[in-house]
Amino acid sequence: MEKIYIGVDVGSVSIKVVAIDENNEVLFNSYVRNVGQPIDTVKDELAKLHNELATKEIGGVGVTGSGRQLLGYILGADVIKNEITAHATATLQFHPDVSTIFEIGGQDSKLIIINDGTITDFAMNTVCAAGTGSFLDHQAQRLGIKIEEFGEIALTAKRDVRIAGRCTVFAESDMISKQQYGFSKAEILKGLSKALVRNYMNNLVRGRKLKPVFVFQGGVAANIAIKKAFEEEVGHEVIVPKHYDIMGAIGIAMLAKDEMKRTGNSTKFKGFEVSEEKFETTSFICKACPNECEIIQIKANGKVIAMTGDRCGRYSNSVI
Amino acid sequence: MKITFPYMGSPYMYEKLFTLLGHEVITPPKPSQKTVDYGVKYSPEFACFPLKVILGTYLEALELGADTIVTSGGNGPCRAGYYGEAQKKILRNMGYDVEFIIFDEPKKDIKGFMDNVMKIKGKSSWAQVIRTVKIVYDMAKSMDKIEKIVETKRAYECNKGEFTKAWHEITEEYRRIESSEDVKKVERKAIERLNSIKICEVPEKEKIRIGIVGEIYVVMEPSINGNIEEVLNAYGAEVERSHYISEWIDFNLIPLPSYKEKEHKILKKGEKYIEIIIGGHAKQSVGAIIDFMERGFDGVIHLKPFGCLPELVSQSVIDKIMREYDYPILSLSIDEQMAIANVLTRIEAFLDVIKLKKHRKKIAR
Repeated sequence: MEKIYIGVDVGSVSIKVVAIDENNEVLFNSYVRNVGQPIDTVKDELAKLHNELATKEIGGVGVTGSGRQLLGYILGADVIKNEITAHATATLQFHPDVSTIFEIGGQDSKLIIINDGTITDFAMNTVCAAGTGSFLDHQAQRLGIKIEEFGEIALTAKRDVRIAGRCTVFAESDMISKQQYGFSKAEILKGLSKALVRNYMNNLVRGRKLKPVFVFQGGVAANIAIKKAFEEEVGHEVIVPKHYDIMGAIGIAMLAKDEMKRTGNSTKFKGFEVSEEKFETTSFICKACPNECEIIQIKANGKVIAMTGDRCGRYSNSVI
Repeated sequence: MKITFPYMGSPYMYEKLFTLLGHEVITPPKPSQKTVDYGVKYSPEFACFPLKVILGTYLEALELGADTIVTSGGNGPCRAGYYGEAQKKILRNMGYDVEFIIFDEPKKDIKGFMDNVMKIKGKSSWAQVIRTVKIVYDMAKSMDKIEKIVETKRAYECNKGEFTKAWHEITEEYRRIESSEDVKKVERKAIERLNSIKICEVPEKEKIRIGIVGEIYVVMEPSINGNIEEVLNAYGAEVERSHYISEWIDFNLIPLPSYKEKEHKILKKGEKYIEIIIGGHAKQSVGAIIDFMERGFDGVIHLKPFGCLPELVSQSVIDKIMREYDYPILSLSIDEQMAIANVLTRIEAFLDVIKLKKHRKKIAR
């Protein structure tokens, strides 16, 4: 039976589930908003995957994203890895000659530098949300346009307007005042795109010399105006890969595949029955020291399977 | 006089020093969320993070009954030199009647230094003072020696948590020492104890060694830097810091040139990038990076308190060093807003970069 490998990327804004075959062909993919119940969402998506690909054998499972530890435990993942490595792995598959990866997601943005096919340097935004998808989302909503139309509308702008992009609050008040001066929606959106890229350059690139080939991925890569702004900034074509929004999930599926091939082990995946288990999350305040950490407790069918939230490892080490 | 002091690394040395001199000592609690909350609430917003945490520590110690704070001053043009004075003012404004004994470098103000020494000396004889200082110095040396073993071998422990547990118990043993002989005894027992812990060895080629540099407080106090050494060890990497308290004593307090050699060597290595001492530990940080690199460490993590000017300068220099030598360095900014998930992702990816680099080198050979 043909083997498939599952990749799950649990981001702060969206959850991506993919299945790839031995040749890294994407057989299943889904991209859904994370509405704060990642376990349920992943459960649903896995059920869909199972429906579509019931005849295939699961060769391995990988989990990445900010919620990777917990989800990895629940699913029985073979590989649990950070999203930087996962993203680069997928990009290198589709564009082996890549040197610079711009990745902008919902809550964070990353820069990954590749030399001769391996990551040699990376940076993540440290301080601000002005350079991420959630901010664009919020502003599109405020201007009454759909986020999907953001890029197209911005490209119709005839003039440039400079918007302060350092911080979300200041960017918003600057936008409002520019609107009041009479700039059009399209011009504001274009200004915003440029501000986001400028912010990215100042915060992440920090004077590094960037070399082509440039690849731009993550949810925000859907926005053609941002792609344009990046191209103007680096003076070179920027590629948006076909699977730009699920690259992290593809990458972690590939890493799972490599791991299984390397070790020859069989997968630790707990099977699709995992989606039948009842999960319950509770929390309590630990009083053992003045830190008073909020301990989050996850139960499967009434049995505690994972605890997190403690700084000292008193609980998180005790269960897993 | 009920003495307290800042909490940085193990507090037992300071506790021992004042206890053996016959003072009543209020050992401050390990910095926690409460400490940080206190510090952030009562410090100026723009102050560096260590000032805030240390102020929080003082407030907790005052609540426990302390009335005298003993601390060191800073040197150079960095704000750390004013910590003591600023904190004194803040506490007085808050209505605390508290005495501050601030030790500045003896060579700058020998009289002020001696006045402070007399206050600490109290009723003890000079012979007693010398004996005590010797014991405490031996204790610092010995504890640092043991901690270095822990930071190295913990990376390979078979059962997670054994070294940390042993280290906590060993520090409690040190807490009970009365003489330099006791120090030796505790050290011997500690080495035995650490040697008995089961190690899952890794081939030499696959070992990863990480240096930690940066501002002294955030480098030395694990409760503030997210237990970074333990985290790195748990990922299987050996760790060494650019700061150990015994080395700080050697350089700053012992007026003998031979004790200052190591630090001077480090400073010399930073000279190419930062010519003068610009305050804090900027020049040391850069020098230590070069030193770790020359000693074959695989990468360096640089810790800086958010808003620390000297370390911001070293961060800019770091960008240059990374490009010049193709050397992996990760700079982390530390304050009360630090998001642990984000930091862990960075550290994990950083270690991946290092492993890939090692692997590539192996293939190239």
